[in-house]
Amino acid sequence: MKRRKFVKTVTLSTLLPAGLSIPAGNVLAGSSPDGGKGAFRPTVEGPSGGSQPAGKAPDWVRSLRDSDMDGLGPDGKPVPGYSATGTGHARKNVDPAKPHQMELTREEQDILDGKQGEAKAKVMKTVVMFGNAFGATKLVDLGGAPHSSVFNAPPFMKSIIDVFSQCADEGLKSYAPFTVNPRPFDLYNVETQPDEMAMVFEGYPLQPQLDYTLMRIGARGMNSRSCACYLSEIGNAPPPETYVAWAESSAVNFGNSVLGLRTNRYAGGMELLCALIGKAPYFGLMTDEGRMATWLIDVRTTKAPDWGVLGAAIGMKVVEDVPFIVGVDQYFGGEVTKENMHLLKAMGSSTAANGAVGLYHVENVTPDAKKLGRKLLAKNYKTYVVDDAEIQRIYDNYPNLWSKKDGKPTRCFIGCPHNTYQEIYNWGTMVTEELKRRGQDKVKVPMHLFCSIPVRNHLLDEHPVLVRDMKRAGMNFTNMCALMFTGLKGFTEKENAVTNSNKARKYSSSRYFPDDILLEIVMTGEIPKNV
Amino acid sequence: MAKKTFKGRPLLPGKLEGEALVSKQPFNTTASYFDNMFAGVTDSAPCTDSDNKDLFRKDISNCIMCTSQTIGSTFGGAALMGVAEMGVGPRAMLFSRHIDSIISAGLFMEDIWNEKRIITIDLLGDEFLEAVNTGDPIAIHEDGTVEVG
Repeated sequence: MKRRKFVKTVTLSTLLPAGLSIPAGNVLAGSSPDGGKGAFRPTVEGPSGGSQPAGKAPDWVRSLRDSDMDGLGPDGKPVPGYSATGTGHARKNVDPAKPHQMELTREEQDILDGKQGEAKAKVMKTVVMFGNAFGATKLVDLGGAPHSSVFNAPPFMKSIIDVFSQCADEGLKSYAPFTVNPRPFDLYNVETQPDEMAMVFEGYPLQPQLDYTLMRIGARGMNSRSCACYLSEIGNAPPPETYVAWAESSAVNFGNSVLGLRTNRYAGGMELLCALIGKAPYFGLMTDEGRMATWLIDVRTTKAPDWGVLGAAIGMKVVEDVPFIVGVDQYFGGEVTKENMHLLKAMGSSTAANGAVGLYHVENVTPDAKKLGRKLLAKNYKTYVVDDAEIQRIYDNYPNLWSKKDGKPTRCFIGCPHNTYQEIYNWGTMVTEELKRRGQDKVKVPMHLFCSIPVRNHLLDEHPVLVRDMKRAGMNFTNMCALMFTGLKGFTEKENAVTNSNKARKYSSSRYFPDDILLEIVMTGEIPKNV
Repeated sequence: MAKKTFKGRPLLPGKLEGEALVSKQPFNTTASYFDNMFAGVTDSAPCTDSDNKDLFRKDISNCIMCTSQTIGSTFGGAALMGVAEMGVGPRAMLFSRHIDSIISAGLFMEDIWNEKRIITIDLLGDEFLEAVNTGDPIAIHEDGTVEVG
């Protein structure tokens, strides 16, 4: 086999457009949570630092292995008969002998014929081909603003970046300024040591090119980077029933379900192609029929369920069908508010990560369900009862993926998807008060609070003393993607992470615990014996 | 072996003859090409997905891939475009079930933007995947007909 040097010869400066430097982060007392003396020291091999043995993929790519729609059960083995289109809409009874062609307007046909330039014609052709494959009847005009999950740039992303560079060269721009997922690293607050920085620079050599290209086609600034684009601090929350073409499974899931948007699940840049023509194929979760629920989820827990585990149970059961969830409206008081929205964020992102759910309804809570009630249940729907025993069964089946099964926790990850203001306030209060009660100065397990910069600044504005105390206690704010951090080279071997995110549990070796147990863990530095 | 014929939906039609490479379980695109994506391997495509008992460590370059669907990371489309750029991507993707959103993005973009066609047929039916085995002679026709044997 021929081997190429892995990124060794690429220096970051050569990839930067003239006049650009590595985008600066918004730094809050920038330092690693342990002052740069912690346990995390990725293995560095070779004179250039960070290059892996020839011909062997580096360890940090492990996090890319699984994602939505991995077709694996709780035991990590393939699920027999697994089937999902990934759009959030399971298509049945498609006749392969009948090719499908959506109807196009005159203007759309003109674009397809190249009358508005070659790049736009290619964009239209790709979107139409995609729509035809999934049975779309037409294209619809998009509103609000797009959200993209094209956010990190290892070397293999070159082809995708080239596509959008070509679009930018021809002057194509998104129909509205769009938000993008968090960057995959945070050189100011997390990867602050030279060896960690080397891994970032060598693992994501095309990041400046990608960020520059996204900016050219209409991306908003770095401070709006977040997977929770719909939070008020970021402000990408279009009105109900707006057609959008979003990517990022958790944002799609929240947008469709809680905001009442109409979008299918997109991946691989298709959402950006839709953004460039301001249109998307009309099918699946955009349609009234596609939003009908084929599962009734009857939640009969004796207290508020563990929302992440409930989402996991639903996701694994329905895969990409639409569930209608009853029995939890009492925990929302009839309204989704800034104070309780994180419960749905936790549950929904877990349905999307453990299955491929793009839309769910909660009786008396989410907009479609409030409007139509159980009329949303499709004929011959199936029922799944989730009680305390079922929640416990799912939880008990989570494997311990730490390299040293009986090791001590070394990091605590809070928030994936990105935290809301209420969540970081809750955690800050909970931890600082518990420290005071115990007479401790700091937590014994460094904590990373993943949130956008505006959300962190919101807390800083409202509770500056709390933020100071949180920092002193060992709670570190970062706007990066939690999953990319857990995928860094050497992470699994050297770190034992605990998390409150079922999504992070699904995609990494992090162990999932309910909040009360996590609090005990960060206070003591130990996993409680009875867990 | 007796020849069996299956009719699918030609999403990216083409004519091709060769040997089948079969993954009876869904094919995890990203997990299968780690050595190409991250380790600089450019003249072959050793399958790196240890969960795939059919293909792990086999060279899957320039294959006629027969599987049910693809699964895995949303990078799958980009991964496919990356290996196609290296010249070690599949020559054809034959799916027994409905194509998924991730691989379709990569296949369609590769076809339209890089003018490299990976023949793609879906909805060939579960019987197709039950019948076909690695090494079987396979003939693909423009209309989505696939002959095995």
